[in-house]
Amino acid sequence: MRKVSAAAIHLFLIIASVVSLFPFVWMLIGMTNSSSDIVKGKFSFGSELSTNMNKLLDMTDLGGAFWNSAVIAVIGTVCTLILSSMAGFGFEIYRTKGKDRLFGILMLSMMMPFAAVMVPLFRMFSSMGMLNTPTAVILPTITTAFMIFFFMQNTKSFPRELLQAGRVDGLGEWRLFTHVYMPTMKPTYAAAAIITFMNYWNSFLWPLIALQTPDKKTLPLIVSSLASSYNPDYGMIMVAIVITTLPTVLIFFLLQKQFVQGMLGSVK
Amino acid sequence: MKKLLSVLLLVSMTASLLAACGSSKSSDSGQSGTGSEGGSASKKVVAWAWDPSFNGAALKIAEELYAKENPGFELEVVDMAKTDLEQKLNTNLASGVKEGLPDIILVNDPNIQKYVTAYPGTFADFTDKVDYSQFSPYKVDALTIDGKVYGVPFDIGVTGMFYRSDYLEQAGFKAEDLENITWDEYIEIGKVVKEKTGKYMSTINPNDEALTSILLQSGGSWYITPDNKGNFVDNPVMTETLRVYKAIADSGIAKPVTGWSEFVGSFNAGDVATVVSGVWQISSIMDAKDQSGKWRVAPIPRLNVEGAVNASNEGGSSWFVLEGSANKDLAIDFLAKTIGGSSEFYERFLKENGGVGSYIPSFSSEAYSQTPEFFGGQAIYTDFTKWSTEVPGISLGMYTQEAKDALKNELPNILNGSDLTQSLANIQKLFEQQVQ
Amino acid sequence: MGSKWNKSNLMGWQFVLLPSALILLFSFYPMIQSLLLSFQSGKGNVYHYVGLSNYARLFSDPMFKQAVLNTLLYLVVQVPIMLMLGLVIAYFLNMPGLKFKGFYRTAIFLPCVTSLVSYAVLFKSIFAVDGILNRMLMSIHIIHEPIAWLMDPVWAKVAIIAAITWRWTGYNMIFYLAAMQNIDPSVYEAASIDGASKTRQFFSITVPMLKPIILFTAIISTNGTLQLFDEVVNITNGGPGNSTMTISQYIYNLSFMYTPNFGYAATVSYAIVIMVAVLAFLQLKVGGEKK
Repeated sequence: MRKVSAAAIHLFLIIASVVSLFPFVWMLIGMTNSSSDIVKGKFSFGSELSTNMNKLLDMTDLGGAFWNSAVIAVIGTVCTLILSSMAGFGFEIYRTKGKDRLFGILMLSMMMPFAAVMVPLFRMFSSMGMLNTPTAVILPTITTAFMIFFFMQNTKSFPRELLQAGRVDGLGEWRLFTHVYMPTMKPTYAAAAIITFMNYWNSFLWPLIALQTPDKKTLPLIVSSLASSYNPDYGMIMVAIVITTLPTVLIFFLLQKQFVQGMLGSVK
Repeated sequence: MKKLLSVLLLVSMTASLLAACGSSKSSDSGQSGTGSEGGSASKKVVAWAWDPSFNGAALKIAEELYAKENPGFELEVVDMAKTDLEQKLNTNLASGVKEGLPDIILVNDPNIQKYVTAYPGTFADFTDKVDYSQFSPYKVDALTIDGKVYGVPFDIGVTGMFYRSDYLEQAGFKAEDLENITWDEYIEIGKVVKEKTGKYMSTINPNDEALTSILLQSGGSWYITPDNKGNFVDNPVMTETLRVYKAIADSGIAKPVTGWSEFVGSFNAGDVATVVSGVWQISSIMDAKDQSGKWRVAPIPRLNVEGAVNASNEGGSSWFVLEGSANKDLAIDFLAKTIGGSSEFYERFLKENGGVGSYIPSFSSEAYSQTPEFFGGQAIYTDFTKWSTEVPGISLGMYTQEAKDALKNELPNILNGSDLTQSLANIQKLFEQQVQ
Repeated sequence: MGSKWNKSNLMGWQFVLLPSALILLFSFYPMIQSLLLSFQSGKGNVYHYVGLSNYARLFSDPMFKQAVLNTLLYLVVQVPIMLMLGLVIAYFLNMPGLKFKGFYRTAIFLPCVTSLVSYAVLFKSIFAVDGILNRMLMSIHIIHEPIAWLMDPVWAKVAIIAAITWRWTGYNMIFYLAAMQNIDPSVYEAASIDGASKTRQFFSITVPMLKPIILFTAIISTNGTLQLFDEVVNITNGGPGNSTMTISQYIYNLSFMYTPNFGYAATVSYAIVIMVAVLAFLQLKVGGEKK
């Protein structure tokens, strides 16, 4: 009986994986084919990879864009994680009516479609003289109600006895946060890091507006401009897409270990 | 509390560091477009365009030509997607922030009146700077608002009917059978082609307004009237356009597609016998190298109404200069002397990038009389330019997109056979609600 | 007790002050500007005050109504399917002793990082008339004639729902997986000893313990769906007709595709804010934030 159910679970997960992976594989295949083969729906590896790659390198400043994206995503993720976890910790551990109300108000900020605040935000950054900088891209989402909420919800299952024990040992509240809360919440930080990194890495609309010179462009902006020409070269676009996708996959790969750690502890 | 301060300090330091290294760079490269250094005899002009291998490349040709007479002239082309460009432009103009705007901008023709009207005083008047009599009249019409002409006409999308001569021959049709036909004749040919060769005659995409736009302009009409009212009710051209559209959909000769790549894929894979599209489609068609020699071009079919012709237009764009630009005069002079009046520019643009303009003096050049093998030695550009002089001039107005969406909303009902008069009344009503 | 509470209250504020200030500055300041704009109408950069007439216009705007109906339909059908699927997958992937976990996890997460461009091209070709899906269904004789998926108002919606589910299930799975690490494994061990089946454990341990996170994902997904934009624009562009158009797409059209009316666009945006706020409030109530 157990064997059967394990087999059923594997079958289910295999189907889910194949469905999920399919576009990804298609992308990898597309990267090696010419544009007209891609639109014809060819589904086998071709020999155009180096041609596509060279065309892409000729046409765009890929290295520069990669660097710009990396600066924004790395600094942005670190800042967002620190600030949002601080707030999540504060709102949940020291919960009061006043804080609940404040958080309720903060939640409204994530319900606003970004297109609607773009014009005022643009004006604001222009008057601060910060347009065309990575800072301008990072700041509007440096703390989000979304991430605070995520940390709050995870903090609900945080064992508070640990804090009490820490206090008995004479730790201050900030030390409790950095030395007790942060290490215990590793899986939460890992998930938050993946999601936040991905959001910064893929963010499109605001970087498009806030970054003004070609030397500041991020990867998604490059992909977008490639994809819209009159006669889009899909082979080249696929290469750009794969390069754009890889870092997030890598981050996921590195951080996913955190999701097994809890289990390893139980197996002993 | 100390911790809080140190975190705050850390964050603000990172931020200011970023700001510092960012803004120091932006002041030497970013501001060049707006020329905020002001006054200095800057010879650098910044332009926004959306296809580096097409309109971006065209600017580079123009730069080369202009720099011969004006040494030291420099042009920076910033490439971005068309929709991205439109978003950036709108956000900049709506927020009143001049920082980061270029001197020159590429505008899609249906957007011209919209921008000029919505952002008054933003675009430079070109009326006396360019000899517009040298351009196809329909192209100049698109640029004219209240008697003033804004910008320099650039590429056109004069349409033709690209066809696979091998499929049509197999179905028993010769080149003459495709000249000067009506859409009803086109459908009849399509049925034979489908029957004899198993190939579709064309594609149809209900989410895309390209075909209805082509049909309307070939009849000298548009979705909206010159005074920006809906043009759906009591418009014989509109009625005929939708009748033809439905007839094509019903006849089964059109392969349904839902997007650009599918559309291009359909002819690259040899699934369709004809493609009715703008002249710029040539480069996509020529991508299928194995089909060399099999393609020809004929004039598009004609609507069965008074005044309709076998010529129309799909797409096309023009260059604008921003009124507030510090290099306004230089930018105007640059455009006027190259894209606005140089036959050499248009010859090179065609040879190097396959782009077709509306500058009449260039039409008799050697570049425009080439006879590519891919099209069986047909002088396709001579044909296209001849058709371009026949395209009816129309006013594209400022609500084209709203009107297209209103039509799109009702199109499924029309295709399902609902009463056309009623449907047109619905569209008109929806449109009026949208533009209040 | 009182002094301790005060101390704790004060302690808490120093953690939340800076992050809250940043949100207030970078989100609320522009939101208030946009609220002011929602009482104005005009085009481009010329606006005049119109009071509440933009809000009145919402109720007589057929495009807006259509967009709201479409969006709510996605919400009601898609969010529960996706969350349930994400939760079940996370539960499987959290089982001790299951092989190839790392592979499954990565594979199922991948859709949300795959670029929209490739995703759009691919989904269109899957749902094309001579696409993979039709060929497959015809070869196993479920259908006899190809279905024009993206050209039928109902099937197009199904395609969109499939696309969102495909893209965001793995994303939600991450939240569940992370939260499952906070559950003390001894709880499961005790239950196993008591003879509770895996299914039983799922409903009696996992789901209740993950309640805060399920609530979180429900609110996030509601918010995400009401702001749905990318999938629709890239796969159907709102068609056929406007049968798949969403509210966010409408805002985008009003701002950037049509003759720009940022005033009315702001009004439509506030309609989203109000809808999400109400739904989130209800979810919090139902989700049992009683304490």
